[in-house]
Amino acid sequence: MEFEEYVSARGQDLVRLGFTVSGDYQRAEDLAQTALMQAFRSWRKVRGADDPHHYVRRILVNEYLAMTRRRSFTEAPTADVEPHRTVPDPATDIVNSDDLWHALQELSGRERVVLVLRYYQDLDDHTIADLLGIKPSSVRSTASRALATLRRTRQSHRVDERLS
Amino acid sequence: MSNTELEDDLRGTLGRAAASVPMATGLSDRATSGVRQARRRAWMVSGIAAAAVVAVTAAGFGLAGRGATTEPPVAVGGATSQPPQPTEQAPSAKTVTGTWNVLQIAGQKSLKAPRPDNPVLRFRTDGTWSGSDGCNGIQGTYTIGQRGEFSAKAGPQRLIGCNNVPHSDVLQSAKRIAISAGKDSDTLAFYAANGHELARYARAR
Repeated sequence: MEFEEYVSARGQDLVRLGFTVSGDYQRAEDLAQTALMQAFRSWRKVRGADDPHHYVRRILVNEYLAMTRRRSFTEAPTADVEPHRTVPDPATDIVNSDDLWHALQELSGRERVVLVLRYYQDLDDHTIADLLGIKPSSVRSTASRALATLRRTRQSHRVDERLS
Repeated sequence: MSNTELEDDLRGTLGRAAASVPMATGLSDRATSGVRQARRRAWMVSGIAAAAVVAVTAAGFGLAGRGATTEPPVAVGGATSQPPQPTEQAPSAKTVTGTWNVLQIAGQKSLKAPRPDNPVLRFRTDGTWSGSDGCNGIQGTYTIGQRGEFSAKAGPQRLIGCNNVPHSDVLQSAKRIAISAGKDSDTLAFYAANGHELARYARAR
């Protein structure tokens, strides 16, 4: 598979993955582009891998985690859509009003990545561990911690709503 | 709330968030041009360094008058691979006009999966295209050069997620197209800048 063919088939998937982990459209495109540039530099090696997409996805999530570790990194708390970029869509409203989506933004970068890979990309814990270079047990404990945080955040939101 | 309920909600939330992402354009061009610019800079630096070494050597050993010439740096191995030229006749806006069904797209294996809409592509002679990715209407503009050079732009669209057929990506990545007249139906092929085939369509009857 040539590089252009890969981008044509999977480029948008990478932007979507970038958005679900970062919560920011601009950052999602930057992440996808960085991952694709790195993949293009060594495309012969990437193309020869068992699953080239797995390889590029690994670059993207690790680039995101490296980004969150940098001092200059600031979290983008919401996913406000740039109005000129797209036409109104019900999905956009759901994203902007979904309490679970907002609760996800409160998690650490690694917690969010683990949940996205597990529940959006449907990867098993061994594959996630391989992708992140950690142990499967760490994936399980990170996911468990993240789910507990989400549940607490959601419950407190519901209590707030009832009281207000 | 049970864990399963939360996990199901999470799947739904992440799926809806992903579906709301606007279609990114020019990813391939941006990634490759960034790397190529960096490589060009590296070539220039190494070329200047090589020229400086030759000049210093020539001056040091008195070789300046012996016809030693310095060549600009060239690609090693002469790997100027020409993209394979399709044998099909180059098309025009007139011949491409009509409705096309997708036969294959590089890297896509689920083109025959059931979708709410028929994922067709339509070209008109006025330089516009439209169609469906299987669950969203899509449209845009296109141009065709005299030798089949092709460029297309996609307009805004709804982004409901399903097994979307990436017509827009194909059109925006394609640099050349070709039409061949087949026994049963015409075939429309899209090629990337390097000559590799991105997708193939058959004319709808």
